[in-house]
Amino acid sequence: MKTALSTLPVLRWSLAALLLALLGGCASSVGERTTRYPEQPPAQTGIGTVRPAPQPTAPAPNLPIPITPGNGSPVAIAPPPKAPEYPKSAEAISGQAVLSLMKQAREARAAGKFDQASGALERAQRIEPRNYFVWSALSRVYLDKKLYDNAESVAMKSNSLARGNIYVELENWKVISEAREAQGDSIGALQAQSRIDEIQRNLIGSGG
Amino acid sequence: MARPMAPPTRKKPPRIPRQVWIGLLAVVLVLGSIGLVIFSFTVIALDKDIRTRFAGVRWTLPAQVYAAPLELYAGQRVDAGALRHELERLGYRSTENLDGPGTFAMGKSRADIFIRGFHFWDGPRPEARISVKLDADGVTDVLDLDSQQPRDIVRMDPMLIGSIYPQQGEDRVLVKLDEVPELLREGLLSVEDKGFYDHFGVSIRGVFRAMFVNLRAGHTVQGASTITQQLVRNFFLTMDRTWTRKINEMIMAVLLERHYSKQEILEAYVNEIYLGQDGNRAVHGFGLASYFYFNKPLGELRDHEIALLVGVVKGASFYNPRRNAERAKNRRDLVLHVFRDQGLISDAEMEAAIARPLGLAGNKKGGVERYPAFVDLVKRQLRGQYKDSDLTDEGLRIFTTLEPRAQEALERSIIQGLATVEKSRKMPEGTLESSGVVTSVDGGEVLAVVGGRESRYAGFNRALDSRRSIGSLVKPFVYLSALEQGDRYNLQSILEDEPISLRLPNKQVWSPGNYDRKLHGPQPLYMALAHSYNLPTVRLGLEIGEKSVVETLKQAGYSGDPALLPSLFLGAVDVAPIEVAQMYGTLAANGFQSPLSSIREVTTKEGEPLNRYPIRVKQTLPEGPVYLINWAMTQVMRLGTGRAAYSKIPDEVVLAGKSGTTDDLRDAWFAGFAGDRVGVIWVGRDDYKPMGLSGSTGALPIWSSLIKELNVRSLDLIPPPDVEEQLADTVTGLKADEGCQSRLLVPYLRGYAPAEWAPCARAATSQPLQWLRDIFE
Repeated sequence: MKTALSTLPVLRWSLAALLLALLGGCASSVGERTTRYPEQPPAQTGIGTVRPAPQPTAPAPNLPIPITPGNGSPVAIAPPPKAPEYPKSAEAISGQAVLSLMKQAREARAAGKFDQASGALERAQRIEPRNYFVWSALSRVYLDKKLYDNAESVAMKSNSLARGNIYVELENWKVISEAREAQGDSIGALQAQSRIDEIQRNLIGSGG
Repeated sequence: MARPMAPPTRKKPPRIPRQVWIGLLAVVLVLGSIGLVIFSFTVIALDKDIRTRFAGVRWTLPAQVYAAPLELYAGQRVDAGALRHELERLGYRSTENLDGPGTFAMGKSRADIFIRGFHFWDGPRPEARISVKLDADGVTDVLDLDSQQPRDIVRMDPMLIGSIYPQQGEDRVLVKLDEVPELLREGLLSVEDKGFYDHFGVSIRGVFRAMFVNLRAGHTVQGASTITQQLVRNFFLTMDRTWTRKINEMIMAVLLERHYSKQEILEAYVNEIYLGQDGNRAVHGFGLASYFYFNKPLGELRDHEIALLVGVVKGASFYNPRRNAERAKNRRDLVLHVFRDQGLISDAEMEAAIARPLGLAGNKKGGVERYPAFVDLVKRQLRGQYKDSDLTDEGLRIFTTLEPRAQEALERSIIQGLATVEKSRKMPEGTLESSGVVTSVDGGEVLAVVGGRESRYAGFNRALDSRRSIGSLVKPFVYLSALEQGDRYNLQSILEDEPISLRLPNKQVWSPGNYDRKLHGPQPLYMALAHSYNLPTVRLGLEIGEKSVVETLKQAGYSGDPALLPSLFLGAVDVAPIEVAQMYGTLAANGFQSPLSSIREVTTKEGEPLNRYPIRVKQTLPEGPVYLINWAMTQVMRLGTGRAAYSKIPDEVVLAGKSGTTDDLRDAWFAGFAGDRVGVIWVGRDDYKPMGLSGSTGALPIWSSLIKELNVRSLDLIPPPDVEEQLADTVTGLKADEGCQSRLLVPYLRGYAPAEWAPCARAATSQPLQWLRDIFE
């Protein structure tokens, strides 16, 4: 922490607080003790004194609701800016080694050799651990291998890394939907399907 | 024996009646028959023994444990020095020209490698000659030298790091006779059994020849036992020097020769013969001995190395090259002379070989059992899935996640770090102990484990078994529990740093204090974490409750069930380093937990896949709050208790971490991560005595060296969709703009960033108006 306490900010703050108190009838007051932080009205929620968190600003339309554990679909989709900005295929973000392994995986998968396919993708994942195309392809192969729970989680992981890339997310939600369906979670599958529909609408809307 | 009848007393020479002769003959015949029957039964029994043992499972084959293979591809961050080291560790030999698998030629910016063939779980990878182009950052190109075509990716053969053998047991690496170099085959016979292809199991001529040769030499050069007899002795019998054993040995040798071809017998011998000892582990066969003494496959041994192995046959203990180097060298040179005399090598080759040192790999103890703490983890993961006998007898091949580079970095950091701190604190050498774990962030692979400063020796595995208080390592989970309540807390929430006394259920009063015994005034949440202040943490913990913190700990991967006491907030929970790595790994992977795994695949000895261990992932913690706590842990590194790391690591590498210190300085911890690696270091004393070191002074220097050597990727903090960033004035914690001199981009759960401008903000001057406008709008 960079600047030491200078008189100016304190004065400015005191003035501002006074003004606010006068104008808004806010309960803030400057404490007698000089600290780097202004005294706040103590929130007596327990033994510690914690400044009340600011009221949430109104969420922008289409913005995700903050998630909590146990929430059925933990990864929310950010409003798609312009779909074409996102890479559509792995080529745009992957090195040659990873592309080569992904090709091997595609061929193995086409030949029904799912172990070989997942093996190649796991090698690719180790080389580029945050390549969401690799995670996405891996979720599809785990689905082939009937590792439904893992397929869904891996697709979620891809979604998390994709940071709004709707092309990848579309594929991932398809895997999630199928995995849930296969596990008898029809409602979950429907929720995933609604994500798919939403993304598809956005893609059409953005001309993607 | 029948007693002869008394002589008759007549004068005439007595005439033995015919009946007596017949009787005598009958007795002899009967006794002879009985003897024959007994002998036959013995032979039949021995024969049966031989056939069942020889035809069935001839050897128990311990599972072989392999490290993860190095992948070579453009972009791989391995420079020339590191690549050379990697090749040498694999037992590759530096040559001018590639003259066979297992050799390489190294230039400044290019390495030509003759890669050994290897049977991976997904199929064989044939041997290949490749050229790797390198610059300062790593590999730029990989070219196939035969086809002159670029190769996208090439997998090196993995290093054999150990085996799973019975408690008191034989270890071996099975080889086929055609894999045995001709010089070894012929040389072995010329020294041990020249007449092997002529005798029937026992060689009368051999006995005489050995006597002659030994007399001429003045000491024992050749043994009289044939290869077949030696095999029988090694295989079926004890080493007692008794006549019964010797006779049984000869009978069995003859029987063996009747049932099996010379080739089969020689192959068995090559795999059976005892060639060394490594603690409890008996090294059997040339296949393993080649790794044990020279760290490379049998096919790549050179003349002087072959001669040493052949020499050791005579007495693995007496001629132990690691203990009795001179004696072993004399023996080796003698063997080289025999090779020359038999025309197996030329004079020049003999001279060249004699001029070479023994060339042993590894340390005094040596061998392939290099990483006992890691192999221990592998065994535990396999337990429950395989019977013990499957692991010790079936020759399974276990492909693990161990990254030799990471393991070496961890070992070196710990050994050097402890020595440095002991010296600077004037502690007697060996006072401190330490353990550490390195894992991959996404995928949860265990890359390195050190169970104690004597990392070569299997012993108490502190990384897995030493559960000690984690101290402040718990704090990120306390703060995370709070940050999950976005409506109550954010990173700028002010926490009081004031004394506190609590009456515990046992009526005792608990009055925690800060580590520096000072009070620092109200602190924003992230600063309280960065400086690891205890009092704000306890206050916050009491607000959110022990239950909530334990829940978070469990979601992160903690498996215990701690007492719900306020001391929990300061880390009164016992956790093993490996589990700390799991917990911090969940944070590093943005809340997506991958259960730590040390194994990728298991195959049969023929290479048939038995088990694959896919990457497992489950989101157990919410992404947004985890992002916030990770951001706070980057502040620990930038301005808090972890900042000394940046004296070793470049500023541009973003790291997140946390120190941990327990009461009276008994345990020093540091746990943290970069973009791709999680590292955990513990330092303490086995006798639990205070050692005068905190997490920052005891564990952080080791952790920093480790992270530096791992050549990690920077942590890329890209906010998830439910997180927004806003400039905050560091003085007030309120919204800042360019008007504020000290401002910081702080993440908040979306919708919970402060809307109020800091007094320093330019926008603040119009704030009242803005406030009024807001009302009307």
